[in-house]
Amino acid sequence: MDKRIFALSSFVVLAAALPLAAQTPALKPASNGKSVAVAKTPWGDPDLQGTWTSDDTLGVPMERDKKYGDRLYLTEDELKDREKRVEQSKQRIENPSSDNHSPAKAQLDAGAAATAPARGVDSAPVPGQFGEYARRASKQTSQIVEPADGRLPPLTAEGQKKQEAARALRGKAPSTWTDWSIYDRCISRGVAGSILPVVYGNGLEIVQTPGYVAIRYEMVHDTRIIPTDGRAHLPSSVRSYMGDPVGHWEGNTLVVETTNFNGALGIGPNGGGIPGSTDMKLTERFTRVADNTVNYELTVDDPKTYTAPWKIAFPITHEPGYQIFEYACHEGNNAMRNMITGTLADEAKAAAAKKN
Amino acid sequence: MRTRIWIAILGAGLLLTAAPVWAHHAFAAEFDVNKPLILKGTVTKMEWINPHAWIHIDVKDADGKVTSWMIEAGAPNGLLRRGFTKASLLPGTDIVVEGWQAKDGSFRANGSNITLPDGKKLFVGSQGTGAPVDGK
Repeated sequence: MDKRIFALSSFVVLAAALPLAAQTPALKPASNGKSVAVAKTPWGDPDLQGTWTSDDTLGVPMERDKKYGDRLYLTEDELKDREKRVEQSKQRIENPSSDNHSPAKAQLDAGAAATAPARGVDSAPVPGQFGEYARRASKQTSQIVEPADGRLPPLTAEGQKKQEAARALRGKAPSTWTDWSIYDRCISRGVAGSILPVVYGNGLEIVQTPGYVAIRYEMVHDTRIIPTDGRAHLPSSVRSYMGDPVGHWEGNTLVVETTNFNGALGIGPNGGGIPGSTDMKLTERFTRVADNTVNYELTVDDPKTYTAPWKIAFPITHEPGYQIFEYACHEGNNAMRNMITGTLADEAKAAAAKKN
Repeated sequence: MRTRIWIAILGAGLLLTAAPVWAHHAFAAEFDVNKPLILKGTVTKMEWINPHAWIHIDVKDADGKVTSWMIEAGAPNGLLRRGFTKASLLPGTDIVVEGWQAKDGSFRANGSNITLPDGKKLFVGSQGTGAPVDGK
């Protein structure tokens, strides 16, 4: 009798989950991914516990290239292309001896200034060996799944102002600590910035106890303690970088609503993007769909910044042997000081040139 | 081709970013692309710190004079995942470093390649934040 009720309730849960599946991209579980839609903790909550990483979404841009239109998924051929590039990344990172880049040496051989390698603002000419790579090529054309075009909705006037203010700062030589982001200052990456994949540090760990889910993020080591009793949020006078999360279970999905943000961080890698307003509300959904996969969705509702809500979705995976490493920052951090001396050197050079 | 991909990726990233552009390891803010160098030295210590590990080496010039350099390497968490541990580059190891010198002229360089005594190469150069690795 119990078995049948169990089976029936599982069916109901799965059936209820189907409309979500229509909106959320179907993930591709790893070859050993067993379906564990009803794995539970000893006290009966759906079990999301473990170490997860968003590495597999590396290479998927947040906003969709316009050439794809409303298409969320790559075609077979496009996927094959991406699989090739994913394999190349892996080889470049894991077996760099096959890569004989020596741009500094080439530059010296040719005469220093003549062959200065072209680069963007903050990249070096040779990709480092310490980045991460996707283990499986994602089928998605973008991380944003709503609106239908996979791109940010139009900004409000206030959102545009914030964007212009950020653009005006571009290229400003750093001369004091506030010239760096909240991330670089080792304060926080924010809710989205802690899970959107970047070059490394994309791990997170979920731990559950009765009534709570804790999520510990590797890079900049933020930890969120999420009560799952659907309680009221903190008073609006209490604000923070990671906001105030409150969760509840909907079937096998953990729904987390976070408010009380302080307006410093945006929805983007490492907390970049346009800073959210203090009215921003984030709604996340975590659903375990295989023993090694959790579907993650993030809905951004910030009417002061964006003219419509929008949603990001991608799977996070469990990888054998993957562990979270401590990420201590500002212990003997040399980078800020070094960059400020770089600015001072440039200013001295410019001043000397003016004199002559 | 690869550098063009990197520039395109960073261009796309910049459109979204509201924070100041100078990420913590912005190459151009710290190092001078017109000062390439190759250093041969002996490791004295390695600092496993964020955002970048630093390798300290003693470089002896033709006259026997020793200068201490510090070489900026990659992020510890990433290095660890590659199997590059605290035991990988012990004091006393002779290495060859290719990179670019600090803008302020100090004995500091961004390490691009490191060649170990057995000829094995490590690429520890900086990477932009948020740049997807597979070029898309």
